[in-house]
Amino acid sequence: MAIGDLAFLIPLLPALAFVLTFFLGKKLPNGGAIIPIAAITISFVISLLITMNLLQNPEEVINQSYSWFAILNIGVLVDPLAAVMLTMVSLVSLLIHIYSVGYMSHDRSQSRYFAETALFTASMLGLALSDNILQLFICWELVGVCSYLLIGFWYEKPSASSAAKKAFLTTRVGDVMFLAGIVILFSDLFRIFNGTIPDGVYILRFDEIFTHIPEIAAMNANILGMEVSHITIITLLFFGGAIGKSGQFPLHVWLPDAMEGPTTVSALIHAATMVTAGVYLVARTFPMFMAAPSSLLVVAYLGAFTAIFAATMGIVMNDLKRVLAYSTISQLGYMMLGLGVGAAIGAEAVGISIFHLINHAFFKALLFLCAGSVIHAVGTHDMRQLGGVAKVMPITAVTMIIAAFSLAGFGIPDTIFGFSGFFSKDPIIESAYLFGSSSGMWIPYLLSITAALLTSLYIFRLVFMTFFGKPRTDYGGHESPASMTVPLSILALLALVAGALTRTTFYEFVSETFVNDFVQMDIPALADIGGYHLASHAGHEPMLILWMPLIVAVAGLLVSYLIYGLKVVNMDSLVSRNNPVYKLLYNRYYQNAIYTDFLSVKVIYEGFAFAGHAIDRGFDWTVNWISDLMIESGEALRQFQTGVIQTYATAVIAGVGLLIVLIKVVMEVI
Amino acid sequence: MLPILSLIVLIPLLFAALTLFTKTKEQARVMALVATVAVLVLTLYMYINFDSTIADNQFEEIYQWVPSLGINYHLGVDGIGMPLILLNAIVLPFLILFTWNDDRKAPNRFYALILATEGAVIGVFAALDFFLFYIFWELTLIPLFFMVSIWGGPGKHHAAIKFFIYTHIASLVMLLGIFGLYFSAWEMTGTPSLDIPALLSQFQFIGSGVMKDLIFLALLFGFIVKIPVFPFHSWQPDAYTEAPTAGSVLFVMLKIGGYGIFKVILPLLPFTASPNLMITIMAALGAVSIIYGAFLALAQSDLKRMVAYSSVSHMGYVLLGAAGLVSLSVSGAMFQQFSHGLIMSIMFMACGVINTTAGTRIINDLGGLAQKMPKLAVIMVLTFMASLGLPGLSGFIAEVSVLAGSFVNLPSYVIIALLAIVITAAYHIWALQRAMFGVFNEKLGTIVDINGYQTLSMGIIAILIVYFGWNPSPVLDMMLTNSEQIISLMAVMGV
Repeated sequence: MAIGDLAFLIPLLPALAFVLTFFLGKKLPNGGAIIPIAAITISFVISLLITMNLLQNPEEVINQSYSWFAILNIGVLVDPLAAVMLTMVSLVSLLIHIYSVGYMSHDRSQSRYFAETALFTASMLGLALSDNILQLFICWELVGVCSYLLIGFWYEKPSASSAAKKAFLTTRVGDVMFLAGIVILFSDLFRIFNGTIPDGVYILRFDEIFTHIPEIAAMNANILGMEVSHITIITLLFFGGAIGKSGQFPLHVWLPDAMEGPTTVSALIHAATMVTAGVYLVARTFPMFMAAPSSLLVVAYLGAFTAIFAATMGIVMNDLKRVLAYSTISQLGYMMLGLGVGAAIGAEAVGISIFHLINHAFFKALLFLCAGSVIHAVGTHDMRQLGGVAKVMPITAVTMIIAAFSLAGFGIPDTIFGFSGFFSKDPIIESAYLFGSSSGMWIPYLLSITAALLTSLYIFRLVFMTFFGKPRTDYGGHESPASMTVPLSILALLALVAGALTRTTFYEFVSETFVNDFVQMDIPALADIGGYHLASHAGHEPMLILWMPLIVAVAGLLVSYLIYGLKVVNMDSLVSRNNPVYKLLYNRYYQNAIYTDFLSVKVIYEGFAFAGHAIDRGFDWTVNWISDLMIESGEALRQFQTGVIQTYATAVIAGVGLLIVLIKVVMEVI
Repeated sequence: MLPILSLIVLIPLLFAALTLFTKTKEQARVMALVATVAVLVLTLYMYINFDSTIADNQFEEIYQWVPSLGINYHLGVDGIGMPLILLNAIVLPFLILFTWNDDRKAPNRFYALILATEGAVIGVFAALDFFLFYIFWELTLIPLFFMVSIWGGPGKHHAAIKFFIYTHIASLVMLLGIFGLYFSAWEMTGTPSLDIPALLSQFQFIGSGVMKDLIFLALLFGFIVKIPVFPFHSWQPDAYTEAPTAGSVLFVMLKIGGYGIFKVILPLLPFTASPNLMITIMAALGAVSIIYGAFLALAQSDLKRMVAYSSVSHMGYVLLGAAGLVSLSVSGAMFQQFSHGLIMSIMFMACGVINTTAGTRIINDLGGLAQKMPKLAVIMVLTFMASLGLPGLSGFIAEVSVLAGSFVNLPSYVIIALLAIVITAAYHIWALQRAMFGVFNEKLGTIVDINGYQTLSMGIIAILIVYFGWNPSPVLDMMLTNSEQIISLMAVMGV
């Protein structure tokens, strides 16, 4: 038996773990944590073995499809893209689960926690190995509902249940766009097949969709007087889904609030199981984006904008977890930008973007778990009350600093010296440069390089404020237990060396995703359909461009050292509430006010819903009025009000007799 | 062979009569349980022997009744009716169990009315003769009327009368349509017949286009008032809300309006004089219902009324999918009826439990119930998720089939329906947040979680919602078979 035959177990085991933990967890020690940990360990081992096997035998892409209902199927597809995703998700999730045993040990709803995180992981793994777009959507929604349950884990806290609602509804806006894209795609394919789909053909399977890209691209719809290709509409709707799930502007608002759940949940959401889904969706359907005029440009611009937009807010936040949340949004923007620059570099974009996704998962999980370790020990996440934590928690401090360097992207160009984040963020920025030089669109590059400066600034601000200097309050604290520091150390090792060790292999491996025995995509031909001009990536950027990311990262480090380490500037005077820029940033560009207070409450609830309510009262009133009129007008009909059923029976019979006569008359006339 | 359909229809009616003579609650509920379990066993037997690969009527029984008028006692069931009989047969025993420990006045009449409704509703799904069909159709009205007017809430009299008169007028219009069809066919063939399959097949030969459209519209009106969809829904929120919990669940089981759409309306549709106009009417009413019901649900302060309006929204999918005229959308619409029955029964049970223990259903007056009612909270979250169309639960299968299938022919209407999805999510999630989560409202006093019988009945239906969400084929296959047959008719007529 080949290892690939076990691929279906990867999501299934954690799903079973969910059921077992949910019903039996209360009776077991630690809330039954051992069940999901065992299940995810096996999932990880299978994923890793499949990945190793695919590395050696690239032609052994796993695809198993089974008929589900009507003309739809469920199935398993493990190609290089899915394989690396599965490995990362199962590994990070496993480490977070182990860490949670210690972190959640005092919570009385432990079993519910482990059940829900198991389902969360199962959904994400199911999403990664879907062989068709509908199954991906299903898992996508399950991921969403698990995040809802976990963000609202402490549901008796109003802020938690409110944050959960916000996350669910905001991502739902994106989900509907995604669903709309699937619906349009389905009907296009249905037409291409003229409504008769042969047995064994599943039209929503990725290979089937990709095969028909040119035909879908040839269909046009007229929107506001513009001829728009269906492939553009579909891909932009898919991207709409990705905007919601991956926290891109303007649907990112749920992500910073999502820290209301346990910190381990934030780690899961931010690193492995939720926000990466959007990036994965765009990567998975990349051939469609390649053939869609303007879609990739939208992805690139929006990604670059989100990267800098979120970074500006990251600088002013005082909450440890909030800084990290904005950092996630910003880094997701980089991943989207990485995919968007496919407009210039073709399928290689998938490689660099997913590489950043994986590295980010490692260092972001690490950042959150370190934050959790600090919060667990000192009981606050307000950085203004911390300081000097490095002395009491040396392991946490060291691992967090490694993660910070990885996030800021420290590394020396053209060598193997660098933190993981460097090897993935650098290529994205370089590709953005290439995109600029080949198309003349420089904005994404400029935004992304500026965002890199801000990234370094906010993360070292966090490091200096939390770990160095003198304690600002008497918080006590101690180093966390081994069950928490061991996962930290493993992740720190990954954040330190994973990038350097795997980079070349990784690009080559993932770039084979669209050329194997499952799908054979001719990327340049698709680029022609999409109207993109692919540039050659020969690495003749000027020296300055090559070193620029490192220069800005170092600059960011120095500035935060000067301000927050040496305190050469008194920040307290700068950040007064009267500073309009600070106010704008600290209030998150007033998006909360616009979305919640205005759009949701005023427009939808008080506007539409109550207008509808008034209309409905109108209908009701009319109906009552007609019946009152009838009742009043007939003396004989007064008995209606007595509710005697015989009266109705008599009326029915009389009425029927009358109707028969009537209809006879009508028949004669006609 | 065993006259199995007759048994399924007559056992509940017979037991209804017998239950009237019981003296105590204990006797009445046992009678009701025996009858509903008997129906369930027989239905499962029928289901196992049902061939889902053919679209014909099965388990047919036919006896002459009034030959001079062409009335026969004709029963039979196809892939449209079978899942709905199954739905009723599954839910009713659990409904009896759900009410097991309740105390109420006149339990003998209460359980008798439940059984009478079950018999009448299944009768509609089994009837293949319009006379019989109409008798059962009207028979559903009477027990429900009493159910609301005796055991209902504060506004029960108004709600009961409104429900009765409104849907009765619609039934009369439907009857006009039946007569139109009956007399037209009589004139053409020279022999009277009220046989449903025969009349449906003769519709196309009616000479006058105006007559055909009038018959069609009369029937359509009768059915859509019963579903109900916008703008003929105003009896529904009152009736659903004022009814006792069991009555609300019975209303949800009353899928006869939608059944009529698939059984009668769609086979006639291609032969009307202006099929495209009819499709537009159906699609528009369906799409508007979806979004209108969603906004109205958002505006409600009473949890049960919110659920009632959400039902209007969900039923819009039935009409939209039927008008979509692709086998996927039509079968999805049929599946929506089945799935909606399961989901809504738990929703109403939950509303009932909350009202009993907390003394109110006003969402803002509740709060933090999950802390006191953890079992109900789990079931409610699952059901609310099913109701808002979460994948992995039965509602999604129906909605995605309707949306994807209908988009082929009716893109703009589907876009309207898609817009409603966020609103639908919003009122569900918001209600959960306010009623179940957050800080417990101490003013509510002592709150008790659902009892064992309630947990069992709600839990099993919830498990079915999950089961059909992953494996819809056991009922969807037969729906598909019949949908394909309907669509092949359309193709012949070039609609």
